[in-house]
Amino acid sequence: MSGGIARGRLAEERKAWRKNHPHGFVARPETLPDGSVNLMVWHCTIPGKAGVSSLVLLLGHVTFVILSQTDWEGGNYPITINFTEDYPSKPPKCKFPQGFFHPNVYPSGTVCLSILNEDSGWRPAITVKQILVGIQDLLNQPNPADPAQTDGYHLFIQDTEEYNRRVRQQAKQYPPLV
Amino acid sequence: MASEQQLSAIKGAKVLMVGAGGIGCELLKTLALSGFQDIHIIDMDTIEVSNLNRQFLFRKSHVGQSKAKVARDAVLRFRPHISITPYHANVKDSDFNVDFFKQFNVVLNGLDNLDARRHVNRLCLAGGVPLIESGTTGFLGQVTVHIKGKTECYECQPKPAPKSYPVCTITSTPSKFVHCIVWAKDLLFAKLFGDKNQDNDLNVRSSDATSSSEHAEDVFERKKDEDIEQYGRRIYDHVFGYNIEVALSNEETWKNRARPKPLYIRDVLPIELIQQNGNADKSFVADDSSSVSAMASLGLKNPQDIWSLRENSRVFFEALRLFFVKREKEIGNLSFDKDDQLAVEFVTAAANIRAASFGIPLHSLFEAKGIAGNIVHAVATTNAIIAGLIVIEAIKVLQNDANNYRMTYCLEHPSRKMLLMPVEPFEPNKSCYVCSETPLLLEVNTSRSKLRDFIEKIVKAKLGMSFPLVMHGPDLLYEVGDDLEEDMVANYEANLEKVLSELPSPVSGGTILTVEDLQQDLSCNINIKHREDFDEEKEPDGMVLSGWTKEKDKTTSTENGASTSNASEAVSLETNASEAVSLETKEDSDIEIVPTGIESVDTGKKRKLPEMSDATIPDSSKNELHEIDDDDDGDDLFMLDDGNSDGSKKKRLQ
Repeated sequence: MSGGIARGRLAEERKAWRKNHPHGFVARPETLPDGSVNLMVWHCTIPGKAGVSSLVLLLGHVTFVILSQTDWEGGNYPITINFTEDYPSKPPKCKFPQGFFHPNVYPSGTVCLSILNEDSGWRPAITVKQILVGIQDLLNQPNPADPAQTDGYHLFIQDTEEYNRRVRQQAKQYPPLV
Repeated sequence: MASEQQLSAIKGAKVLMVGAGGIGCELLKTLALSGFQDIHIIDMDTIEVSNLNRQFLFRKSHVGQSKAKVARDAVLRFRPHISITPYHANVKDSDFNVDFFKQFNVVLNGLDNLDARRHVNRLCLAGGVPLIESGTTGFLGQVTVHIKGKTECYECQPKPAPKSYPVCTITSTPSKFVHCIVWAKDLLFAKLFGDKNQDNDLNVRSSDATSSSEHAEDVFERKKDEDIEQYGRRIYDHVFGYNIEVALSNEETWKNRARPKPLYIRDVLPIELIQQNGNADKSFVADDSSSVSAMASLGLKNPQDIWSLRENSRVFFEALRLFFVKREKEIGNLSFDKDDQLAVEFVTAAANIRAASFGIPLHSLFEAKGIAGNIVHAVATTNAIIAGLIVIEAIKVLQNDANNYRMTYCLEHPSRKMLLMPVEPFEPNKSCYVCSETPLLLEVNTSRSKLRDFIEKIVKAKLGMSFPLVMHGPDLLYEVGDDLEEDMVANYEANLEKVLSELPSPVSGGTILTVEDLQQDLSCNINIKHREDFDEEKEPDGMVLSGWTKEKDKTTSTENGASTSNASEAVSLETNASEAVSLETKEDSDIEIVPTGIESVDTGKKRKLPEMSDATIPDSSKNELHEIDDDDDGDDLFMLDDGNSDGSKKKRLQ
């Protein structure tokens, strides 16, 4: 009976996503074995940013191409978005698999990100697309001010090489779907 | 006082009161004294001691008895000849169905939760019964009138959800006492005494990803034969000592914040003192688990005292011990309850110890209980005022005096020397999913017709949709389009061939389906009514849709912009009552300020009062009303500060 506001909004989100969504991303309501499709839980995939983001500098006759390597490339990271009856007045909860390696992901997999935080960045107008793109950005740019796991945080701060190795290792763990 | 007309309306009326609590007691008394003679009351609660300060129909001897029944008896003593029918039951019980509601001339709500309010709202809409809805929060209150098709329904505007706090603030960087309370209640208490399988971010610690969760759990598990004192020390040192040390090692976090101080039990409470704990006052042994109290066994008497760190630590140990000694069976499925003395003691102590560690001022158990239970102290006078306003509106409703209906807000501070702020009711929100006009009615044999029949014959042919989405609650039953993944297409194809009653979320009589279109901006609700047989000649589709009015006048359809597109034919034409009635604003209305503590305003756009758009509508839930020129006369209410005008879900102090 209740939850009509959440349901109505999620139907809108679903339609908006079907009409247009960023390349490489997947977002779809959960399908259970009995064939029911539940709008309150979405299973999504976030592609790691490709390492071709380049900066071309022209200095005189010399062209510099700076490749910014992203170690997240190649991974397709599964994430579950759980909406509540209070959505969109409250943000949904976004979870990677348990133990996901990233400074701002809790051991439970819950993502710690300002736009998902009712007190700071969340606004009811934020779309599923914005959430997923925001998390994709977070993958490459952890926020050391708000660590959520010691493992990822320590390596990120203290041992960049090992950090990157772990990231690449994790990317292999989540290969492209097709 | 009342005119002849009013009196006869009152005498002939049969009214239903939902709730016999703070507002309910006042309301029942006022109804009885105003001459109402046939009153029914539903309340599922029993009387508690904490009700007695304001629910004046109840006495100490009534504690534990049904509120509805005792209220009836109390009022019959001074109005013996009227009829009061009590129901000690949940209003959501199926006994109280639409037919039950239909027997009343008006329904009066004095409820304390959103769920029941929604439920009553829907039944009143379904039965076409006027509803007068009310609520109070401390000094604030409101009464609203909801009449199907004439005024907005209770759900036309979204209600603010209660405040929640981000997990990061709670687990790592509390800055207010309430953060410590939430931590103690939702994380620590839940971890120690609640369902072990629940997600819990208490430990922000993972040595290696795979085994972290098991490892973390070990810490909180009481080892076999582990001494309870030993266990308590271990927990204490872990959450207040070790975890803080771990947090401190994240230098980045503390650049702009005060660093917390790790607390270890050996520093706070020398060993002898803990042992004293256990020995203290053995004579006080209560068998009734509900009266087990760490405060009592430690000899702490005043819940309004602020305990020292040491006292809090002793309460922490004692409460933990008592849980294991006296209430072991409940461990594993406890959830925090503000009326559970021991739980409140534990949470108060844990929150205070954490507060001490983070340099946050400590609070008394009484204050902590208020914060933990989201309690706003109820004010009897507000309830009385609101009850009076309910009766005033009820009398207007009984006389059908639609032009004079008002929603009335009771303010904390007078505005223009007025404490009560009347506002003309708003029109129904045309896109309100609950009351918006004419949900369609589909008669269909749910155990014979397939989803495909419904899609082809109704959704496409009648409603003119091309890429429909069919939903049953939050469940999607059907979608179509090139963009869908193969497995989803297959899933929906399979659904098409199923009869309605055998879909993954079964459709039967009484089901409401929502049908939307991917492209058109159209959404409609369809009530399903099961019917066994259809006339093959007259009803060849095997189903009959009614209530669908093909929109003739395009200018009026903004929300349903696309509805005219290609709806092939109008099915049964039924003019909607709500179209005909329009409650236009009177220009002389001089209201400028809408208090917003109670009703949400962020979607004020659909409201029709023109001056409202210019009005000062604060966008936060804080009530910013202030008038400098009023109130030098020392109105008491002006001086009192409850400080919290937030949230319709706040519970009254129980």
